[in-house]
Amino acid sequence: MDILLSGQLLVSALVLGALYALVALGLNLIYGTMRLLNVAHGDILMLGGYVAFWGFTLLDIPPVLSLFVAFAMAAGLGAVAYSLIFRRVLTSTAVLERIEANSLLVFFGISVIIQNLTGLVFSANERAYSYLDQVVTIGGTSIGADRLVSLIVALTVCLACVLFFRFSRVGLAVRALIQQRDAAALVGIDTDRINLLVFCLGFGLAGLAGTLISMTEQVSPFIGFPFTIAAFVIIILGGLGNLYGSLAGAFILAGIEVYGVALTSSSFRSILVYGVFIAILLLRPQGLFNRGSAAR
Amino acid sequence: MRRHGVFLLLMLAGLALGGVYPALAGDYYIGVGLTLLMWIALTQSWTVLSGMTGYISLGHAVFFGLGAYVMVLGWSAKLPLLVTIPLAGLVAGLLALLVGAPCLRVRGPYFVILTFGLAEFVKYVVVSVEAGLGKAGRLLFATPSLETLFYIMLVLAAAAVALCYGVRRSRFGAGLRAIREDETAAETLGIPVTRFKLTAYVLSAIIPGMVGAVMMLRSTYFEPLQVFNPITSFTIVSMAIIGGSDDAPGPLLGAIFLVVLSELLWANAPELYMVILGALLVVFVLFLPEGLWGRIQKLWRRRQAA
Amino acid sequence: MSALLQVEGLSKRFGGVQALNDVSFEVAEGEILGLMGANGAGKTTAFSLIAGNQRPSAGSIHLDGQRIDGLRPDRVSQLGIARTFQIVRPFGGMTVLENVTVAALYGRRRISGFTEAEALAREVLAEAHLADRAELPAASLTLAGRKRLEVARALATDPRILLLDEVLAGLTASEVAEALEIVREIHQRRGLTLVVIEHVMRALMRLCGRIVVLHHGQKIAEGPPQQVAEDPVVIEAYFGAAPA
Repeated sequence: MDILLSGQLLVSALVLGALYALVALGLNLIYGTMRLLNVAHGDILMLGGYVAFWGFTLLDIPPVLSLFVAFAMAAGLGAVAYSLIFRRVLTSTAVLERIEANSLLVFFGISVIIQNLTGLVFSANERAYSYLDQVVTIGGTSIGADRLVSLIVALTVCLACVLFFRFSRVGLAVRALIQQRDAAALVGIDTDRINLLVFCLGFGLAGLAGTLISMTEQVSPFIGFPFTIAAFVIIILGGLGNLYGSLAGAFILAGIEVYGVALTSSSFRSILVYGVFIAILLLRPQGLFNRGSAAR
Repeated sequence: MRRHGVFLLLMLAGLALGGVYPALAGDYYIGVGLTLLMWIALTQSWTVLSGMTGYISLGHAVFFGLGAYVMVLGWSAKLPLLVTIPLAGLVAGLLALLVGAPCLRVRGPYFVILTFGLAEFVKYVVVSVEAGLGKAGRLLFATPSLETLFYIMLVLAAAAVALCYGVRRSRFGAGLRAIREDETAAETLGIPVTRFKLTAYVLSAIIPGMVGAVMMLRSTYFEPLQVFNPITSFTIVSMAIIGGSDDAPGPLLGAIFLVVLSELLWANAPELYMVILGALLVVFVLFLPEGLWGRIQKLWRRRQAA
Repeated sequence: MSALLQVEGLSKRFGGVQALNDVSFEVAEGEILGLMGANGAGKTTAFSLIAGNQRPSAGSIHLDGQRIDGLRPDRVSQLGIARTFQIVRPFGGMTVLENVTVAALYGRRRISGFTEAEALAREVLAEAHLADRAELPAASLTLAGRKRLEVARALATDPRILLLDEVLAGLTASEVAEALEIVREIHQRRGLTLVVIEHVMRALMRLCGRIVVLHHGQKIAEGPPQQVAEDPVVIEAYFGAAPA
């Protein structure tokens, strides 16, 4: 039981939760505004990880700086994806009708494409680098400096997002769009520009998270997928479209994972994550924090 | 009988062709044939649920994997094939029966990711169980010859095609298609929606379970991460969507097309094959949802009208 | 004449909204009962409860003495109640004929063969003036056609009671006339009991033998059309709706 009280576990849970929050937030934004289930989300994260890796090993750019590059690149990808593909898809009514069930398959296909293209170009080998390897001790708990930086950056970005959505005009517009898509257009919100912004922001957050993750984990074309799954679990847990819910859900899932694994074994991690996933979908598909019946 | 004449003829021709094939082809191509028959059996079964009702299952690998597991355990227990293969189907069907009722209440994309999550869940449970039993993979010895497996799979594939064809033209199938179009309206017209969905789900699980068992005899090495591989589920869905998922010829086309593609690319550029597969899925879902077969039918109808 | 359908104390609550509150009425066999009320009065909710699409919060529904509230819609359909939907729900991917054939396969007559079902479907399509569109995709029909398809589908299940939900809404004057003609023919030829929700006052007055008026989920009047039209409570509730 003592192990449960250790600072180490708490720190692990916090770091994981903060990273999950970044990824889940991006996914939830895209779903909330456009009802698109971006299964390729984790792959954007993976690309962000590669940016940091190549930036560090080839150009000696520290990850804290390549953060911005990764964010920009991912946001750029989002802009391209939206302008070329999804803007058209969202305006064609015939396709729009099929969109929810089908966006899943479409993004699944895109995910397969991204993962395997990356594998073709970069090879499937895992890459890692060392950065800020030193261990820092705070209040009796040791934590790697790299993880500490991850935690701080992730939490800061999450906070920035929360403030953005709470207090800025654009943030308000996004929230309006999530709540009532058609009504938002009626009151004069430029839905096309907001959609574009959301795509860029959502992808950007994922790319950012990827950079942070690359500091502590190995990078390969396939690392994105577990994060996609975790993000899905979180946004369903927290309630689709519920931004604050996904923040809470991120830490809840991270907690379940970290403490669950500590109590059982590391091979149980996936069982726990998928178990929560199935349970939520079957028992409370609207999520823990959304009121009302199933999200449809 | 007359209405189904073409089908019966084609089926007999296919069986005859399959019957002589192993004698004509070398070992490698028997293997390819076996793979093709496997995909045919899987996609035809999948279509009975997902093509007919619109409830897309992205986790059908769970039935395949479960069937493989039954075979592994049965083979070690020296049970005869005539017992284990049907048993594998039965176990798969039971799983579908068990999880079907709660799962089918979930609609649209949530059903899709739920089936995916379910397959992954079962996968990791099996991993844990095997680890708990101290097994790091299992080997099967003295398995039947490739030809024998080919013939068994031929039977399974034929059964799957017959099942899909039969369901599609039955009263049951008409009910399923109504469910796909509008579940509420269908129920109001007297169709027992819940019961039908569950039946379709169970039917779609049985043959994949048996297929998994047979393929286990081919690979002889049981590794949960392999037999419950989500790529299997993904490939099934892709084949059916590319070929067309409304009727038996569709998945057949899709399976043939992708097996040929895979033969051309897999050895030298597996990632390229996957990229193309992903791209095809995207294109077909967005722009050709009726699949190759549906497109062919449309062109045929247009020519008839002209 | 004994009551074929008995609705007693029917109530339905959706979250904070009381859609129906203690509504009771009877439908005699062979009659055409009108259900009238402003939008949100609870008319479609009543249909949903009767047909089994929703469960009542309170109250009971009896068909020929048998309790049917809480039964699933397919069960209710088997017992002989068919309904159309206010917002039509055709099986767009199927042809018009296929739409009705499916209904015939699962109707009260327990037809199991396609040939027999198709034959019945063609008969019904003729009644609904849709015979010439049989092979067309249902999605290609105009609104008037879709409304008639909705009715045809319901008829093909061989019901004892047909609940028609605003079959005239959105139709032009001539389409309305044709629809009314079809409804009257159905009633006369089959002796079918009908419950009709309508906003087109004139049509309702002329079609129905009796009318039940709902307002904010409660029944405020019941009786022959003329009596209801002159009822001060009804006039006040409608505030300007013109009687026939």
